[in-house]
Amino acid sequence: MPATSASLRRAQALLGTFVEIDVTAASRSCAERAVEAAFSAVADVHRLMSFHDADSDLSRLNRTASSGAVPVHPWTYAVLEMALQINRHTDGAFDITVAPALQRLGQLPGVSDATSSAADIPAVDAIELLADQRVRFSHPSVLIDLGGIAKGFAVDRAIAALQDCGARSAMVNAGGDLAAFGPEARIVHIRDPRSPDRLLCQAEVRDRALASSARRFDPFRSAETTETAVIEPTTQMPARAAHGATVCADKCMVADALTKVVMVAGKRAAAALARYQASAIFVSSDGDIHTTSDWQGVLQHAA
Amino acid sequence: MSDWLKWTAPVAAVMSIAAPAHAIQYMSVEEAQKTAFPGASFAEVQAGRVWKASSGGYFYYDHVVGKHLLIDYTVAIGADGRVRRVDILNYRESYGGEVHDPSWLAQFVGKSNSNEVRVNSDIRNISGATLSSTHLAEGVKKVLSYHASHFR
Repeated sequence: MPATSASLRRAQALLGTFVEIDVTAASRSCAERAVEAAFSAVADVHRLMSFHDADSDLSRLNRTASSGAVPVHPWTYAVLEMALQINRHTDGAFDITVAPALQRLGQLPGVSDATSSAADIPAVDAIELLADQRVRFSHPSVLIDLGGIAKGFAVDRAIAALQDCGARSAMVNAGGDLAAFGPEARIVHIRDPRSPDRLLCQAEVRDRALASSARRFDPFRSAETTETAVIEPTTQMPARAAHGATVCADKCMVADALTKVVMVAGKRAAAALARYQASAIFVSSDGDIHTTSDWQGVLQHAA
Repeated sequence: MSDWLKWTAPVAAVMSIAAPAHAIQYMSVEEAQKTAFPGASFAEVQAGRVWKASSGGYFYYDHVVGKHLLIDYTVAIGADGRVRRVDILNYRESYGGEVHDPSWLAQFVGKSNSNEVRVNSDIRNISGATLSSTHLAEGVKKVLSYHASHFR
């Protein structure tokens, strides 16, 4: 055991939610530096990939990529690459072009004039990743939103920043999308998506990431669950296969995106989960709880 | 390909364990002051709420209250009137319900401030719901408008 260590726990409002970081490092100043670097990485992801910020890479793409190639930050490019790869491996269940449907539901700002469901080709096929980190849309009505993957990526960047600063162990939790590294396993409680004031499951996270999606609820107004924010690409309507899903994977970006796949595809997500060596738990619309056979969590009612 | 296991549980059994009220202290007011204005001293302008930093700028301590959430936060405003940083000091989340399950409560028995803070055995890592930070953003706006009308 190291002779000295210092632990810190900090929170900032970022990515539209609360991002909490706790870190253990050799000294207090090292821990402080690491936390600042990690929050700064999350803030960078927020600036690059926010749908709400007109200056973000994402907004520039949505405005101009259909009329010519747009250079983007390497991080934005990396997220788009992963988003398209997961799209291919999930038969389109993960789709970043559902932004018009989210606008129609009032979950993203702006009025949609796109008719993505009526397009001749899936809108996602119109996204072209070009050399030198440039991106072009080959169809004028493409509108993308990275809300289903960027938060997980931000957690991964924060973890990398903490490791680069020499932290011994840390956990980053961005509103339920989280990852941890270090010698000790961390216990994470998973809310019951049908009733967010209850717990569904307890899982240990060690050098892994875990992300959840559920039918939306706003605890400021009500503990009631409301419509899900996950869009089923084939119908452009809210996904109905599951009340909520939690996925455990190596990277939080992957876990984040795969929760949407489970929300949309339910049990049919098994092949995609296996491809990314991810495990999952979800509550199907009929109220049954399903876990992959490699799921490590402890169900609360079974305890 | 992984197979799925199905757990058919009576809803009542799943519902019998309440989520813990989630309360966390991140920083003290003094720590937040030092982080925002390193090396400065602070003169209290309004008791417990507003301080003026010797290096220029102001420091506010405020709360936002939601139905299920209470956040203590600080806003550091530079001499130029712009927000320098916002820090969350405390965060208390509750659904108004006490924790009913005795085995849940039992784990807190005997814990005190003198206990080593066991970062990893703590009851605070929760996944499965995204809390909106809208109220905090509104709080910061409120502080800024107060600042503009009193100290600018």
